[in-house]
Amino acid sequence: MFDEKDLLIEARHVTRRFPTNDGRLLTACNDVNLKFYKGKTLGIVGESGCGKSTFMRFMVWLDTPTEGEIFFHGKDITKMKGAELHENRQHIQMVFQDPSTSFNPKMKIKEIVCEPLLNFNRISRSDMDAKAKELLEMVELPGDFADRFPHNMSGGQRQRVAIARAIALEPEFIVMDEATSALDVSVQKTVIELITRLQREKNISIGFICHDLGLIESFAHQVAVMYLGNIVEVMPGEGLSDICCHPYSKALLNSVFDVHMDFSKKIENIEGEPPSPLDLPPGCPFSNRCPDCKDCCMQEKPELVEIAPGHMVACHCCTK
Amino acid sequence: MSLLEIKNVDISYGKNLTVKNVSLSLEKGEICSIVGESGSGKTTVIRAVLGLLPGAGRVSAGSITYDGKDLLNLTDSEWRNLRGYDMSMIFQDSGAMMNALRLIGDSYVEYIRTHEEISKEDAWAKGVEMLERMRLPDGDRIMHSYPFQLSGGQRQRVGIAMGMTYRPKLLLADEPTSALDVTTQAQIVRQFMELRDEYGTSIIIVTHNLGVAAYMGDKIVVMKHGEVVDRGERDYILHQSTNPYTKLLLDAVPTLGGKRYV
Repeated sequence: MFDEKDLLIEARHVTRRFPTNDGRLLTACNDVNLKFYKGKTLGIVGESGCGKSTFMRFMVWLDTPTEGEIFFHGKDITKMKGAELHENRQHIQMVFQDPSTSFNPKMKIKEIVCEPLLNFNRISRSDMDAKAKELLEMVELPGDFADRFPHNMSGGQRQRVAIARAIALEPEFIVMDEATSALDVSVQKTVIELITRLQREKNISIGFICHDLGLIESFAHQVAVMYLGNIVEVMPGEGLSDICCHPYSKALLNSVFDVHMDFSKKIENIEGEPPSPLDLPPGCPFSNRCPDCKDCCMQEKPELVEIAPGHMVACHCCTK
Repeated sequence: MSLLEIKNVDISYGKNLTVKNVSLSLEKGEICSIVGESGSGKTTVIRAVLGLLPGAGRVSAGSITYDGKDLLNLTDSEWRNLRGYDMSMIFQDSGAMMNALRLIGDSYVEYIRTHEEISKEDAWAKGVEMLERMRLPDGDRIMHSYPFQLSGGQRQRVGIAMGMTYRPKLLLADEPTSALDVTTQAQIVRQFMELRDEYGTSIIIVTHNLGVAAYMGDKIVVMKHGEVVDRGERDYILHQSTNPYTKLLLDAVPTLGGKRYV
């Protein structure tokens, strides 16, 4: 559904295992294959601990996968070192979940938003005031906020500063790790509007981690559902509630409380908790909570199969 | 007579008036949702009901009555007879209310033994029974765990089990699901609804998730900057209210199949 020549980042067979103290291996990401396209948003949804943040951290070199490759413009970024790595860092930026802990409290806002520019010698110190003002106005904040400290601002304002810092270098790709979950709904809405406007103007690709399906549906071009380190479904963002077919995606959808829902309806949800990532089930990762679990699900792990253009699902029941 | 009656209450922290002129009444078996943005005074209101205002916080005007009793002039021993038996509170992260260095079972046994005279063994058994009733399989293992060994959803269920041990008539829940995943949130919300159906518990739930507030609440109170700006039955708030702030909040909630920005 997307043009292959717009391919920006491709992750192939990315696996990350963490050794534990007692010598076992914890599998956080298991054979993840994903493609990010220019100017598009890929949303990753899933419960806490399913490996979505672990995967996204590879993009910004905060961690490296145990196995697998991530291609950015045809080059494997997991093997980059030295000057090449430094050069490429400016093309991929990140916005963190909690804006109150992602800034140095002793730095002024103008130093925060201009630090990446100074690091790459894009501007000189004397241009800092003007550039900070320009960046702040781009994220719809008054330019005189430049002389404030992070603690003098509200959560929504701080998250806008985090976005200003991420776009300062005009990157091609931004990772947003639950960038709106610490915000109130009304503030969340304005931040999403800002993100989508900047994406249109600057043709930025976004990888957005989220666990609110209602929110991700409103602005993602593509949505990947992750469970226990595995991608279980990749689908177009538009109208995802009608097309999703993996039982876990459906369970996530049924768990969303919506102000327009039928309140007399019983909440149908999945019971229990995901199995431990230290001890992965041999078959389908979702088999112990799945309402339609069959014998084959317990023994054989389903592969991602394309069932419609841009829609892939890993489930024995959906593909047969 | 209503179970809980909050009348024209002002709450101040030192000299700062934080909550202004809040009124609210709750019948037996009724669920009331308080919604609003961070800093709107939602939590302050329910903390005042349980007499748990931190620091220099105090109710500076108005009255709070529970079952005919004035809650603002209780002695410490009267509070001890009320808290835990008649009303209890569930916090945003129940793990944070438990001592991190003690087993959950030890904390729970202590909780039970401050409320009734019972041997440690019986208190332990009672704790296990309550945990299992709150759908925590293998309650004995949970009792033998430290808070950090449980997931957020499990910790929250322990908090609910503790709060419900003496079947209080009034349950105050302060953002009980905001730290949880959507699937766990749905499980916890369903359990709250079952508490009301089984025990007739009245619940005040403070949340900023309007979907949860609408699903649970028979009535909804909307707060902004320490004042109640809108209130009413659920259907009124969702469909008929003309209050601009209520509309703004409802409009900001992302809905499935709703507006798309791209």
